Amino acid sequence: MPQLDTSTWLTMILSMFLVLFIIFQLKISKHNFYHNPKLMTTKTPKQNTPWKTKWTKIYLPLSLPL
Amino acid sequence: MNENLFASFITPMMFGLPLVTLIVLFPSLLFPTSNRLVNNRLISLQQWMLQLVLKQMMSIHNTKGQTWALMLMSLILFIGSTNLLGLLPHSFTPTTQLSMNLGMAIPLWAGAVITGFRNKTKASLAHFLPQGTPTPLIPMLVIIETISLFIQPVALAVRLTANITAGHLLIHLIGGATLALMSINTTTALITFIILILLTVLEFAVAMIQAYVFTLLVSLYLHDNT
Repeated sequence: MPQLDTSTWLTMILSMFLVLFIIFQLKISKHNFYHNPKLMTTKTPKQNTPWKTKWTKIYLPLSLPL
Repeated sequence: MNENLFASFITPMMFGLPLVTLIVLFPSLLFPTSNRLVNNRLISLQQWMLQLVLKQMMSIHNTKGQTWALMLMSLILFIGSTNLLGLLPHSFTPTTQLSMNLGMAIPLWAGAVITGFRNKTKASLAHFLPQGTPTPLIPMLVIIETISLFIQPVALAVRLTANITAGHLLIHLIGGATLALMSINTTTALITFIILILLTVLEFAVAMIQAYVFTLLVSLYLHDNT
């Protein structure tokens, strides 16, 4: 049986190591499995301002309508 | 006829140069690297299939076991693509070589066992004695479990080699029979031709199943040990 001829075993094993452990893994590691796009909530956060709001509008950019 | 039958399993070397390395490298050409955010159809299809297989195989593992995801995925892709390419006429299938399959099975199995030994020594030693064995049977059972542990990599390699080699040999034999029968009795040749077609369909299935089984077993050995 030609599979039992051990003279070629080293070549086979080395080429398999190269392909399996290096080439294939480099190729697959480059795959990006990204998440599906989701809707973001557009609610503005509640600001805790003890002073008057008409003075704080410019100091709270997150509460401004975009 | 013996000489001729096994001729397709001789490792291809050209004047001492290892042609076989190019043959082993070829399946990786069929899986292009994904460079962009949105890839072409081929890469997207392959990525989708890869994600399907990934979810199926790695969901049973814990965090430690899931670090092997890259290794197991490249393993199943390598064995599957190599086996399927071997079904082309006159091609050389590297997975028919016992050397390569041993080279795949032994390091992966040893890695799983040594990981289990280093991190969960008591639990991995406990595998040698199943629960609830009667006391007089214990020494014999430990010996049996040790033998069954050490035979796992050999079984992995020989299973893959034997399945693919046997399939290829059957295709050779029945194809040769069909060819020889065509000039003698066409009806019988038709029957053998139908057998050949069924066999080829079986071999397609076997090619993919063997890849799956190999990877599944390595993943099971990993699950036991993480």
